[in-house]
Amino acid sequence: MESIEFIIGSYLLTFGAIAVVAGRMLRRARSLSHRVPDEEKYWL
Amino acid sequence: MPDLTPRPAEPMPSRRRRRIGPILVLIAVVGFGGWVLSNLRTAVDYYCNVDEVGVRDGCDADRRLRLQGTVAEGSVVASTTRTEFDIEFEGVSVAVRYAGEPGGIFNECIPVVVHGVFDSDTEVFLGDRVEVKHSDEYVSVNDERLTAAEESACSPSA
Amino acid sequence: MTTPTTSRSTGTRATRVIGIAAIVMSAWLSLFGLVLSPADVAQGDAVRIMYVHVPSVWLAYLAFIVTAICSVWVLVARGRVPGVDRVAGASAEIGVVFMAVTLVSGMLWGRITWGVYWQWDARLTTTALLFITYIGYLAVRGLEGSPEQRARRSAVVGVVAVAEIPLVHWSVRLWRSLHQEATVLDTDLDVDIDGLMLFTLFVGVIAFTLWFVWFVLHRARVMALAALVEERSLDEALAERAAEVPAGGQN
Repeated sequence: MESIEFIIGSYLLTFGAIAVVAGRMLRRARSLSHRVPDEEKYWL
Repeated sequence: MPDLTPRPAEPMPSRRRRRIGPILVLIAVVGFGGWVLSNLRTAVDYYCNVDEVGVRDGCDADRRLRLQGTVAEGSVVASTTRTEFDIEFEGVSVAVRYAGEPGGIFNECIPVVVHGVFDSDTEVFLGDRVEVKHSDEYVSVNDERLTAAEESACSPSA
Repeated sequence: MTTPTTSRSTGTRATRVIGIAAIVMSAWLSLFGLVLSPADVAQGDAVRIMYVHVPSVWLAYLAFIVTAICSVWVLVARGRVPGVDRVAGASAEIGVVFMAVTLVSGMLWGRITWGVYWQWDARLTTTALLFITYIGYLAVRGLEGSPEQRARRSAVVGVVAVAEIPLVHWSVRLWRSLHQEATVLDTDLDVDIDGLMLFTLFVGVIAFTLWFVWFVLHRARVMALAALVEERSLDEALAERAAEVPAGGQN
């Protein structure tokens, strides 16, 4: 495969961005979630 | 002691008058945007086609240009220091001399944009940057119609 | 102060199903994009970048359109729909992330096909402008003011900014550009793309749409949690302050 570093790099960048954003968001959700009672969480 | 007696309220503009203002602003913005877009056409166009040199406004031969055309079949001559080739568009051809080896997917029969100036003596276009302009068609290397695609590859595109 | 709670996340059964589906579709996308789909006659293997580049920009456009729709709703309701405002903000945040991914993956694709990472042509410039506009939108969301004021103010930007999307999409038609014209969303409906390549692109669009839904649901819930925590913190601070003041006394 020609220019493999660019091709693999673009996939790593894309899925890496998804993983980083998802990870940060879930961590933030956990840190906030225990400070709010369940009855105030509209999604439950 | 300040006078705290309620003052009569200033008359509010009518509902109709309040609506006219934003509509006029919207019309002005859209109109101005359209005018800017139409006038930017030459300034924002990224390149001049080969057949437009000396014909189209902004494509004068005595200024720095970005020239678009398809690399002529069999015209590429590469040495260690430079690459020479012809680019064509709508039957008009220009000889290009580029100091270096073009990057990207540069090849014969592929549209390119060359940045540079014309040599006034030889009328050769002296390029200092070559960019490959690939099409919006995607054909598999395994495609049965590959021969037809290759045959049509050298036909000029806009 | 901690509150007794059983749920420690913003997840539900629905988000878990969507998340798993997004992961599975992303795995399929990688398999098809990197292995099973063919190389292109002109571009060779560089075409494989298209399978993440195009779905990324699709997601960004979708996110900005959702922001605009929610913004209209916010303006009609005069800012009194905090849930809708949160979806607008969450969607714009996700859109900005994927617009950044689009720009960088496009630069990598450009380097191996055009020969350059970047050029200030019509498509690239308008795309960069769209990205900066939505960074501005997020900045406006962070300005001072009551929740209603902030919602209304950012909704105006959200409605105006979406007008840039048609400009970006048709920039390659309006002006001559180094960037190729649209292949699938072409106005002449002439889809010039190999079948397996189109299928791979379709897998990518589905995968990224699932990611979008998953991200927006979670992010909007995180924003709701943050608002509730802020509200509770303020109530607690006021209660503490009130307790400090001697009964019948002045401070």
